[in-house]
Parts: sequence; structure tokens; C-alpha cells
Amino acid sequence: MEPITTEILVLGAGPGGYAAAFYAADKGKQVTLVEQNPRLGGICLNVGCIPSKALLHATEILRERKESAARGIAFDKPAIDLDKLRNWKTGILDKLGQGIKTLAEHRKVKVIHGRGHFEDSQTLRVETAEGQKFIRYEKAIIAVGSKPALPNAFDLGNPRVMTSTGALEIPDIPENLLVVGGGYIGMELGTVYAALGSQVVVLEALPTILAGVDADLARPVMRAAQKAFKEIRLNTKVLKMATAGKQIKVTIEIDKQPRDELYDRVLVSVGRTPNLADLGLENTKVTKDDKGFIQCNAQQQTDDPNIYAVGDVNGGALLAHRASREGKIAVEAILGEASAFENIVIPAVVYTDPEVAWCGLTEAEAKQKNIDIKVAKFLWGASGRALTLDRPDGLTKLIIEPETERILGVGVVGAGAGELIAEGVLAVEMGATARDIADSVHPHPTLSETFMEAAESFYGTATHTLSRRGA
Amino acid sequence: MDVKLPQLAEGVEGGTVVGILVAEGQIVEKDQAFMELETQKAVGSIPAPSSGVVTKIHVKQGQEVSVGQTLISIETASAKTPATPPAAQTAPASTASAPPPATQSTASSPTANATASDDYHYESKSGVAPPASPTIRKLARELDIDLTRVRGSEAGGRINLADVRAYIQKLQQLAFQPAPSAPAPAAAPTTTLTPAEAIDFAKWGAIRREKMSPLRRTVSRRMVESWTSIPKINQFADADISVLLALRKKYAPAYEKKGTHLTLTSFILFILGRALKKHPRANASMDDSALEIVFKDYCHIGVAVDTEGGLIVPVLRDADKKDLHQLSADLHALTEKTRARKIAIEELQGGSFTISNQGSVGGSHFTPIIYAPQVAILGIGQGQAKPVAIDGKIAIRTILPLCLAYDHRVLDGADAVRFLKDIIAGLEGFAEADIKLK
Repeated sequence: MEPITTEILVLGAGPGGYAAAFYAADKGKQVTLVEQNPRLGGICLNVGCIPSKALLHATEILRERKESAARGIAFDKPAIDLDKLRNWKTGILDKLGQGIKTLAEHRKVKVIHGRGHFEDSQTLRVETAEGQKFIRYEKAIIAVGSKPALPNAFDLGNPRVMTSTGALEIPDIPENLLVVGGGYIGMELGTVYAALGSQVVVLEALPTILAGVDADLARPVMRAAQKAFKEIRLNTKVLKMATAGKQIKVTIEIDKQPRDELYDRVLVSVGRTPNLADLGLENTKVTKDDKGFIQCNAQQQTDDPNIYAVGDVNGGALLAHRASREGKIAVEAILGEASAFENIVIPAVVYTDPEVAWCGLTEAEAKQKNIDIKVAKFLWGASGRALTLDRPDGLTKLIIEPETERILGVGVVGAGAGELIAEGVLAVEMGATARDIADSVHPHPTLSETFMEAAESFYGTATHTLSRRGA
Repeated sequence: MDVKLPQLAEGVEGGTVVGILVAEGQIVEKDQAFMELETQKAVGSIPAPSSGVVTKIHVKQGQEVSVGQTLISIETASAKTPATPPAAQTAPASTASAPPPATQSTASSPTANATASDDYHYESKSGVAPPASPTIRKLARELDIDLTRVRGSEAGGRINLADVRAYIQKLQQLAFQPAPSAPAPAAAPTTTLTPAEAIDFAKWGAIRREKMSPLRRTVSRRMVESWTSIPKINQFADADISVLLALRKKYAPAYEKKGTHLTLTSFILFILGRALKKHPRANASMDDSALEIVFKDYCHIGVAVDTEGGLIVPVLRDADKKDLHQLSADLHALTEKTRARKIAIEELQGGSFTISNQGSVGGSHFTPIIYAPQVAILGIGQGQAKPVAIDGKIAIRTILPLCLAYDHRVLDGADAVRFLKDIIAGLEGFAEADIKLK
């Protein structure tokens, strides 16, 4: 059988893969995109960012309902139709997945559905519904993403023990839900289930939820979660799980003593592992680091000169937008352009309620690296817009290099923080100074003003606060 | 504030500290000279950029300093508390230990630190890359330019497109600079004058070594530059100055009365001023990079002066516009100032032609070296009584040996001879009217 030939092969049609495939096609390359799922879009679109955000939005009104009564607008108990909710969510995924397919067709990117396996440094075997296909490529980009980790001790083969993939399907509304892992996935999905009516308990092995987020940014989330959830237990470990009829018996270590608790469902959100098993990488020169992620250089090139890797398979921050950026860098590198993943700020957003977002240098990182910084903060309690939204539980802060007044990092916690951080990204990428932000007029009344006021507070001149210079 | 050695003049990269005129704790006024520096061809003083108290002197007498180097630190008046200035006059120590100025006002961005230095390097305490937009960073990657070497002009040292452009232009200038002028003045003599192999002169007897002064080094560098870069011709001539000397003898007392000397050099300056107007190519320069001849409407003549320290060439301005008396007076003043090493660097610059008169030391014909970027130089020897044939008869006349050395790239042989003939005609037929004092 004649192998299919292509200039660029992209394996995996997630945000890293399709961004790379489309960019390469736009630059005039002949591209083949291989994806095992029938719907394009990868983890992000199918079992990640998009469905989780759909559910968070849909359930937001349930959270709002409780606050609204105090504002003189009360609602009856909501009727929840899970089938309708799932269908609405699936409708979004179908629409977006179809959109990617159409974009691929218009760019003449050849899409092959099937499981890919590297035969050698220039050949990929694809197991498709119509049988085996072989693709001879000049350059390949691996963008196969990651999947939720499920430690063996928790893998009972019982659907009541879910990962994020299962939880996003909302098989039912469990009366009691245990969330193992207080990272962003656990906190976001816990928020969804709590709004739907579940009694949510979060267990976190570390002394804080949202590990890695600055303490002052995590605090409002912790406070809100303590109200919305039944309980958050820090410094707590799960020893084992077992099926107990229609429930799961979870053995938890509390004060070094094991204790058994019963839950209707358990969500395990303890991290993600790259999808690199059975990919045939041993037939190429691609190497992995000690954590099992692919090793590549600033041009996204692996140790195999023909193969590039982008996104979750490289480890680090497992974020869709980072994968997309890396996809473009890989293409530029293949085209021989001077491109490198250098000096680029990757923002992060946690869609808890309130949201947390940050970019660039964090306060904790500065402390750890012994970097001398000044922090300028603005508390949302003084923001008119935050009060009209009934959301004064926010904070905007700037991490500033004292000598140059350059903004090195931005952190925001509060309603809509995910949208607000974009200005921070622009500021850091452009090498803006606090003065640049303070002197840019921000519309009133908006939450974006908090950015300007934080910058003003660096100079001790924030209109709505009595701040000390450079706090 | 730190006071750095400013760019004193084009091509002056540094010098030797010959005198420190202030002490730590002392008050200086704005423009007050605080240091004497021997640079290139003169001892110059460095004025204080603002008033204040000298908090630290960073250099020592005899030390070599370069442009951009911190010489002294001054605590400026604005940084002092309002009550301090009168007290400071009597108690400098207390002001010297006054708290440093507010961090914000002096917090110098990485840019401000190195404005005069060429080997700029961005350093951030935070360890981050220099601030520049993604567009500029991509451009730098494409051009393979290290942005830490580019001085950013915007707030916080941010690099914009104009900064990158200026940096590239600087690189290009450096790349196309002729090799001899590239090394620093201190390095030039070693690379150009010293043989590659060090010779042990002491093998053949006692020796004494003397460090070359900045002046000596400059002379040697400029001469090597000229010798190696200019295709030159030496054109010899003689002028009969018997009549001129008689005229000089007649009018010298009148000039003396007015406090100046009427010398042969004054006459030559007068004649040259007029001749150069007529022969502008001899007063021109060549712009190698633009492949253009630069003609000058001015006529500034350098006059080589022998001093204790060595050769110095001050420039007499507007020789074409001055009368003989003015030229004599100016020449006298300039020579005195030069011998006293009081000449300012600006007074050594901008010459468009040079004369070197060896008459006073008894020289005869010699081939002077053109002072680049000038095009020609006139070498003058000592007038000697010689037998010459006039109308078929032998007569004893005073003959002045002349040599015009000129750059053949700009001046052709016939041009040069015509120019030289006009000079000779000027010397042999000097109009008495031009000598008379008004």
C-alpha cells in the first residue's frame, strides 16, 4: 500500500495541534492532521476548558439566586433537568468541533481520524476505521495532550470514582461528593456540583488550595468555598477507597489516624499525565524527562530533528493557550523562521467563584528567587463597579521592578478576573511601567479601573484609596 | 550625582588626570573647574555640571580616565535639606554624611547609567530580559541582535524600533571604520609603532624608558593614520623673500609698538588666507564614506608649534578675513597659550590647512606629513642667502625653501603647482599697502 505523503504531520487536534496545523497551512505547507476522536478540539474542547466553563456558567444562576434574595429579588427552588443541561453543553461542543472541521477543510488540511503510532522518525501508522494507513512526513508535531491521573489505589473500576472527564458528564447530582485534590480542576468542578446541590468536601494534601497561587489571591476563593462547600480539609491524605454498595468508602488520614467516610461519588483531581503511552516514540529519537514529559528546546524541537512537540506532552503549565502558542512556534521553526518560546508570558485563569488570574512573575516566585519587587494592590471594596455587582471580594495587584517601575507580573482575584488579566498580559509583554497603566484612562464604572488604581497606588495617588506609596 | 568624564571633543576618548582641584567635602559651584586633564594635545579643565558638595573623588592624579568614567560624586543642592546650604560652607562633613536623595529621584534606570559608554549591557536585578514589545523581540531574533546590548529610550528602559535602528547604525559605523582609528589611543602606539617582537635594548647598553604621554601617543597615532591612509606628493619650491624681509624690517618696529611681532609666519598666513580662497581644493577634505569632496567656506589654518611637551597644532581662525596686524596678534597669542599648555581642545580643532615652519630651528627642505582629514600642508624651512641668476647676473638673495605635501586623491599635481606658485608670488611681491598699520 502506498503511504500518504505530507510535508507536515500534526498528531492531535487540540488547541496546540489544530493551531499548528492551520498556521502551517496558512503559510503554504501541505498538512495532515491525525486525531483519534471523532470530534476535533482535543481535551480543551471535549473534556476540559469548554464543557467545564459551560457548566460553571449554567450553574452560576444557582449561586446568584442565593445572593439575590438579600437584594430584594427572590426565586423559587430551581428545577434542574440534567438531560437538558448536558444536551445544551454538548451542543456547544458540537458547534465548536464542527467549526474546527470547517476551518480545516477550507485550509485544505487533510484530517485523518485514528490512533497514531510512530513507525520511525518519518513514518506514522494510523489505525483508522478503514484499516491501517501509513503517513510519510517531512516534519511531525506531537500534540496529543494529557489525561487526568487516576492513581492505582483509587482505580476501582467503579464509575462512582470519577476523573474530571466523568464528572463533566454529570451522571447525577450526588448528595455527597468528595473531591480529592484542591487544585483548579477540583475547585472548579466542586463549585459546579455545590451549586447543583451536592454536599461537597474537598481534601487537599498540601496546606493550601490552589497551590502555586499567591496566598492573597487564593484567600477570597478559600473564603467563598468554605461557604459554598460543606468542608475543605487541608493537610489531609486519602489512604484508600473501596466500593460499599451504592457508595464509596474512603479511608482518610486525619491526625495520623485512619477514618472511614462514605460518599455517593468521588472526584479524583490530583493532576494530569501525558498521553504518551503506546505512541511508538521508542521508534524515534524523541526522549522524555524523568517525569515522563517530552524534552524539547525553545523551538519546540525534540531530540529527533524531524519531530516537534507542543502543549501538555511537554509538561509545565498544562494550558490550552500555551499549547497554541507553542504550535505556532514549532511551525515557524520548521519554516526556518527565527522563532523561540522566549520571554513569553503565559497567563493562568482559575474559574472558581471568584475567579483567580495571574501572569508573569508572582509574589511567591519573587520571594523564592530573592527578587526585589514592590507590590501595588487595589482592593475591590473601593471599586464602585464591584459593589454594584455585589462582588467586593476582589483584589488586583501589580508586581513591579522598583528601579524601572516596570510591571513584571499581575494577579487578580474577583468576578471576571479571567477577562481582566488580558490587560496585565499586554502590560508585561510590552514592558509597560506602572506609570503607563496609571496614565491610561480606564472606563468607569468597570472592574478594569482596579488595574489603573493599583498602578496609581504604587505612586501613592490612587483616587479611591488612602494607600501608602508602593504598599 | 556622579560626575563622569564628558565627551570633550570628537575623537577625544580620555586622558590623564594631571590635577585635582577640589577635595572631598568641598563645595563646588556650577561650572567651577574641579579637575585638570591632559587630553590629546592640551591640558584642559573639567567644569562641574552643577553646584554641590563633593562627596567622593573617584580618581587619582596621574590616573588615566576615559569618557564616561566617574570622576567625582557631587551631592547636589537640590538634594540637600533647605537648612543645609549656608551651614555646608563651614561644615562640609555634616553635609557629606547627609542622607542620600530620595530613591525615586535618583533611582537610575539601567539606561541612565551608561549613556556615554559604548559597551552597554542591560542588567535587571529581577533577572528578566530587557523590556521590549513582542514585535521588537521578534525583529531582534530575526536579525540575531542581542537586546541586552540595545539601550532602550522609553520609560523603564523599554526598547523601541528607533533604539534598535540606532544600535544597528552604530554597529555598521563600527564595522566600516578604518582599522587604524578603531583601537583606543592607548592601544594605538603598541599596535602600530612597536615591533611585533619585544626587543631587549638593554642587551647593548644602559637604557632608560619613558612612558609616552597622551600627547606623544596622539601625535604618533595621527601621524601613522596620515602616513598609511593618504597617497601623498611632496612638491618642492623656493621663494625669494629678500624684498619681503626688507619690508618686514621696515615695519617691524611699528608692530612692536602695538605689542605684536611681525614674523614670516604672519606673512605666510596672510598669503595663504588669500591663496586658499582661490584654490578651494587645497582647503577641502575628502569624505570617504560619502565619496564626496567637502569644500569649506572658512579658512582655519593650523600652525605647528614646538612645545616642551612636543608638537601641538593650534588653529588660527578665519585667516582669510584678517589683516596682517590681526593675524600677527592672534598668532602671537595662540603660540603663547600653546607653549603654556593653556590651549582649549576646541582651539585645536577645525583646521582646514596646516603650516609647519622650521625656520626658527634652522630647517631646510623637508617633507611634512599631512594632518588628516586636511588635504595639504606647507612645510617652511629657514631662509638662506644663496646665489641666484637674475637677468643673467648672479645675485645673492634670501631663498626660502618650501614644500607642499598634498593628498593626490583631492589635489592633482597641476593644481598644487598653481597653488604653490600663487604662494610664491605672494611672498615675492607682497604689497606694502597690506603691511601698513591702519
